Amino acid sequence: MSCYHLSRLLFDLKMNESCVKRALTDFEAVMSEYDLTDEEKAALRAGDPRKLRQLGVHGMLCLYIKRLHPEFRDNIYWQQK
Amino acid sequence: MPLVSALAASHAPNILLEPGAEWEDFMNLHYSMAPQGSATRPTLDQQKKLRQDAEESFGALRAAMEQARPDVLIVVANDQFVNFFWNNIPTFFVTTADEVKGQFTRHRFHYRNHKELGRTIVRRGMERGIDFSFGEHIELQHTQVVPLYFLLREPKIPILPIYVNTWVDPAPSPRRCYQVGELIREVADDSNERVAILATGGLSHFPGSPRIGEIDTEFDHKLLALMREGKGRSLVDYSVQELLQAGDTEFLNWMVVIGVVGDAKAAYTSYMPDFVATGWGFVSWKF
Repeated sequence: MSCYHLSRLLFDLKMNESCVKRALTDFEAVMSEYDLTDEEKAALRAGDPRKLRQLGVHGMLCLYIKRLHPEFRDNIYWQQK
Repeated sequence: MPLVSALAASHAPNILLEPGAEWEDFMNLHYSMAPQGSATRPTLDQQKKLRQDAEESFGALRAAMEQARPDVLIVVANDQFVNFFWNNIPTFFVTTADEVKGQFTRHRFHYRNHKELGRTIVRRGMERGIDFSFGEHIELQHTQVVPLYFLLREPKIPILPIYVNTWVDPAPSPRRCYQVGELIREVADDSNERVAILATGGLSHFPGSPRIGEIDTEFDHKLLALMREGKGRSLVDYSVQELLQAGDTEFLNWMVVIGVVGDAKAAYTSYMPDFVATGWGFVSWKF
């Protein structure tokens, strides 16, 4: 089962600053723009990269869900690609 | 002019992050994927020592390259979901842009791209049965700019980024990467310019994987010994799976440069595991 759309959302959280900005204020609205299953949405809401990995997302894309986590929001890692 | 210099170096982001708070940020994020990795978290003194040792190694590589007075530096690296996504993953990609840019924390990078050399490589590949992807826009990322920060901070010469898919399955075989290197060598030897080449990545590490924190130092030492002995060619018989098992898929970038140098013995090697994720390796060949 492809997780293309789930991966695409995480790719956009990496590459698209306006997507990150909108996701920080209304993540449900951002998720609704992607073709996601209920299971994928639940994993995104949980914010746990390991759950996303279990759904088939590449490990380095999984990490980008952490951009929305208060503890990691200002992490230096996001200032490089 | 022939090929004048060949180099290979790791591109781990923490090489260019500052010891202390920036390293802590980096480690916290990675260990959130694999908490067991944090068992060997390096102290601030160890972080500083690693940075110092890496700078020393890069210094040796930079001196070797500058001594060779190259007109262009080809940079063989992998994308990590910056330029390429699941809608299209090129196995080998040659940059035919006029210029290339990128940013790493507060460091900005901007180089002329040697598109004529790029187009020559693509054309020669088509004559020889290697069909590269190519394109006129890429964004530089840590896989290129971490080594470039230390090797070519001032954009005195153009670069030519070439990408190898080391990143998503299926990746090309070590043999195919070697053949790409042979092709680049042929083009370099026919060129009127002095060509240098740099491979980046590795050595052993498991980014984004539950195995992060493991470093197969034994495998890395074996790779470096083969390069010192001029026996890198023997690695064409390895499978991608064998490299993957050792966390060394980015060694596919290095395999291109091994195809470029053929049986030449490496003049310089150094190696240091960073206690976080990656075995940092540095190699240069003289011609």
